[in-house]
Amino acid sequence: MSNQTESPNTVGELREIENSDFDDGPVVSRERGGWAWLGLLPFFAFLTLFLLVPTIGLIRKAFVANDSSFTTDGMTAAITDEWAAFRNSLKISFVTAALGVVLGTALAYAAATAKRPKWLRSLVAAFSGVAANMGGIILAFLFLTLLGRQGLGTKILADNGWDPYKSWFSINDFSGVILVYMYFQIPLMVLVTLPAIDGLKASWREASANLGGSTFTYWRRVGLPVLAPSMLGGFLLLFANAYSAFATAYALNTQSNLVPVKISFYLQGDVTGRSPLPFALATWMILFMGFSMGGYLLMRKRAERWQR
Amino acid sequence: MTALTFSAVRKTFGSNVALHGFDLDLQQGELVTLLGPSGCGKTTALRIAAGFERADSGTILVQDVDISKMPPNKRNMGMVFQSYSLFPNLTVAGNVEYGLRTRGIDKATRLARVAEILDLVQLGSLGERYSHQISGGQQQRVALARALAVEPSVLLLDEPLSALDAKVRATLRDEIRRIQTEVGITTLFVTHDQEEALAISDRICVMSHGRIEQLGTPTEVYREPATPFVARFVGTMNELPATITGTAEVAVMGNRMGVPAANGLAAGSSITLLVRPEDMSLADEGMQGTVASVTFQGSSTLVGVRLDVVDRLVIIDVGQGGADSLSPGDRIGVGVNGANAVCEPSD
Amino acid sequence: MRRLSAWLGRIGPTLVLLAAAVFFIAPLLSTARAAFHKVPTILLDRHTWFTKWSFDGIRRAFNEEFFWPTLLLGLKLALVTVLITMVLLVPTALYVHLRLPRARALVEFLTVLPYVVPPIALVAGVAAFFRPNARWFLNSDFSLAPFYVVIAMPFTYRAIDAGIKAIDVRTLVDASRSLGGSWAMTLRKALLPNLSASLLSSAFLTATVVLGEFTIASSLAKNTFATFSFEYFGRDPQGGIGLALLTLLATTGLLGVLTIATRSKSRRAMAANRG
Repeated sequence: MSNQTESPNTVGELREIENSDFDDGPVVSRERGGWAWLGLLPFFAFLTLFLLVPTIGLIRKAFVANDSSFTTDGMTAAITDEWAAFRNSLKISFVTAALGVVLGTALAYAAATAKRPKWLRSLVAAFSGVAANMGGIILAFLFLTLLGRQGLGTKILADNGWDPYKSWFSINDFSGVILVYMYFQIPLMVLVTLPAIDGLKASWREASANLGGSTFTYWRRVGLPVLAPSMLGGFLLLFANAYSAFATAYALNTQSNLVPVKISFYLQGDVTGRSPLPFALATWMILFMGFSMGGYLLMRKRAERWQR
Repeated sequence: MTALTFSAVRKTFGSNVALHGFDLDLQQGELVTLLGPSGCGKTTALRIAAGFERADSGTILVQDVDISKMPPNKRNMGMVFQSYSLFPNLTVAGNVEYGLRTRGIDKATRLARVAEILDLVQLGSLGERYSHQISGGQQQRVALARALAVEPSVLLLDEPLSALDAKVRATLRDEIRRIQTEVGITTLFVTHDQEEALAISDRICVMSHGRIEQLGTPTEVYREPATPFVARFVGTMNELPATITGTAEVAVMGNRMGVPAANGLAAGSSITLLVRPEDMSLADEGMQGTVASVTFQGSSTLVGVRLDVVDRLVIIDVGQGGADSLSPGDRIGVGVNGANAVCEPSD
Repeated sequence: MRRLSAWLGRIGPTLVLLAAAVFFIAPLLSTARAAFHKVPTILLDRHTWFTKWSFDGIRRAFNEEFFWPTLLLGLKLALVTVLITMVLLVPTALYVHLRLPRARALVEFLTVLPYVVPPIALVAGVAAFFRPNARWFLNSDFSLAPFYVVIAMPFTYRAIDAGIKAIDVRTLVDASRSLGGSWAMTLRKALLPNLSASLLSSAFLTATVVLGEFTIASSLAKNTFATFSFEYFGRDPQGGIGLALLTLLATTGLLGVLTIATRSKSRRAMAANRG
C-alpha cells in the first residue's frame, strides 16, 4: 500500500507513522538472473509443441490457398459463405450468456445468503463445479430424454394440453440448444459469482443502513457497482464458453449450423487438407475467443481489487 | 435528559445470554467506553443501539424517545466499524457524502460539508482517492468523517482501532478523542483494550458475561476496582494469599499490613489479596525474596521477585531508578502499600 | 410497496432455489426413466408406469463388443493425462512460487490460453500440423493425452496453484531444508502431503474430462469411451442412455466421495497453517 504521495509535515497537518516507514527496502531477491527461467523450460516446451504449434499451423493454413499461395480469400470466404453459422453462433452465445448472467447471479445470491439449511451453499457450489464442466454428449442425452420428441417432459406437457413441438420448440433447434446450454452456463456463472458475492462485506450493508440508506439505495450505489465487473466478466466468459461448445450441439443435431460444427464438417470432408475453409473458420473463432477471454481477464482483475 | 439510554436490555442468542438486563445512561457530549473481553456483550449492546440487532426485551431511548423498534436507517446515528467498511467503489469524498445524499441534501451544501469534515479529520487532500489507495489509519479516519458528516445524535465506535498497527493506534486514539470533544458528540466506544479505555473515556463500563462489573471514571476503575474481575482486567495485579486479621488489616503469611478494603470481612477468613505493581516497593525489611527478573521498559522498570514466605512471583514497578544495581539472584525485601488493594474472598 | 418487496426478498431466494432444483434434477430423472423403463414414451400412462422396469439397457451395453476395451482405454488415457499434468504442472507451479515470482503473471496467462483455442480449434490445428508432419504420432491412441493435458490446463493449474497458495510453501521448504532434507525429500514429505487434497481433486476432474471428451477423439477418429457411447446410442438409444447415466453416476459419486474424504484432510492442513 503506497502512501508516498501523502504530504509531509505541513503546518497543522499530522502525518501518521505507518509500519511501512520502517521498511528496509526490497527483500533480497532469490533469482539468479536470467538462468532462473530455464526451470520453466519443460512447461514452455510442452505448451509450444501441443498448443502454440497447432494454433500457428492452423492460422497459417487459413491464409494459404489451394495452390499454396498467401491469400486472405479463405478468411473472407469463411465469413461470407458461412455468415449464417457465425450469426447463429453469436446469437446463441449472446442469449445463453445473458440468461446465464441473470439466472446464475440470482442462484448464486440465493445460495450465498441462505442461512438454513447450512449445507445448501456447499451443495450448490459443489454441484456447480460438476455441472459447469459437464458438456459433451451426456448433456445432450439428458435433455433428449426430457424434452426430445420422445421425451418424458414432452409427453407430460402434451398430455396436459400443450405440445411444445406443435408450437415453437424443438430440441434439435435453437430453442433446444439454448435450453440445454443453460445447464452448464448457469453453474459456470455461479462459480464465478460466488466469490464476488462473498466479497460483499456485511459491514458495507450495515454502514449504508446506518447512514440512512434503504436496501434499494445500498444495491444501487454500492452492491451492484461492486458486482458489476464480476458480472460483466462472467458474461464474457459465458459467451466464450457457449461459442466454443461443440459436442453438445453436435449430439443434438449433427447438421447444426454453428461455427464449431461447421469446422468439424469441413475438416472431415476435406481429405487433402488443402482447403483453407475450416482453418479460416477456426481462426475467426480464435479471434472472437481472444477478445472475450481478454475482456474477461480484465474484468476479473478489477473485481479482485475490491475483494481483498 | 440523557442522550442515550439503555433500559433493561436483554438479548439471547440461542442458549447463550449475551446481555442480562443492561442499564446505562449516556449524558450529552460524554464518551463512554464499553470495556471487556470478547463475548462480554459489549458489541451486542452497541449493535442493539445501532439497530442491527433487536433486543429481546428492554428499550433504547435517544433523548427520551423510544427508538427500540426503529430500523437502523432511521436512527440518525453514526457508526464506525472495525475494518473494511468504506465503500470500495466510491472515492473518499463519495463515501463521506453518502449519508448526505440519502438525506437529499443539495450538491453545493454537500461539497462544503465534505470539505469541512475532511479538514476536521485532517485528510483534506485525499478526497479523490479510493479506499484501497490509502492506509488503514486513514481509512478509519474517513470512516469517522463519514459517520460525523450527517451530524448524528450519537456516535458508535465498534473497536475501531483493533485492526491497526500499534503506533497508528495510539495516534488515532487521541485524534478520535480530540474530534469527539471538539464536536461535542455523545459517543459509545467499544474495545477490549483497557489502555485505550483509560486514555480517552469520560466513563468506563467494564463488562463481563453480559453484566456490568463497574461503571465509573477511568481513575475510579483503575484505583478503586469494584470487583476482582475489574481489578485484574484493568491494568495488572499481583495476587497473594492472605488472611483477615482484624478490621482493615490483613496478613500475608504473618506479615501484617493495613488494607482499607478488608473492612467488613470476617476476621480469620482467607482471601486473595490483589495489589498493583506500583503499590509495591523494594524495601530491606518487608517480605524477603529473590530477584527473578529485571525488565527495563523505558519509562519504568519492572522487577520480578519470588517471595520466600509464599511461592509467588510478584512484579514490582520501581519507576525510573532504584533497580539499576539489581540482577537475578539477588536477595531483596518487598513492601506493600495496601491503600488500594482489593480483597477477593477465596471460596 | 415496501411490504411487497420485503416479502419478495424473503420468498425470492427460496423460489429461485426450488426452480433451480427442478431444472437441474428433471433431466436426470427423465434419463433414469428412459434408461430403465422399457415402455416407449408414447405408451406411457397410469397403467404402464409401474411395469417393465429393468436393467436390460445397461446389460446390453456391457455386452457390447467395444464397451470394455474403450473403457479400459479411457481409464489408461486418464491416468496418463493426470500423470503428465502432475509431472509438468506441479513442479512448474512450485518453481514459480519459490524461485521465479516474476513469471507468475506470464505463466497464469499461458495456462488460460487453452480457453482461447477451444478443443474444436485445437483439432483443426492438429489437422494442420500433426497430420501432415507427424502422422506417426497420431497413430497411437495415447496421442490424445497431451492434448487433453492442454485443454484441462486452465482448471488443473488453477487448482494446483490454489492449493499451493493455501499452504505456506516458503516456510515449509525452508524448514525442511534447514533440517537437512534434500529437494526430493522436501517434495515427498513436506509438500505433497499438504497439497494432496487439491492435487487429488484436480486429478479427478481431469479424469472426468478425459472420459467424456468427444470433440478431439472423434475428429482424430479414435475409438474412446465417449465416441463409443455416442455411436452405441445411435444403434440402441435405450442402451446408450443407460450407459451415459451410469457414467455420470460413477463419476459424480466418486467425486463426492473424494470431496468428503479430502475435506477433513485439507481442513486439518489449513488449521495447522493458521495456528
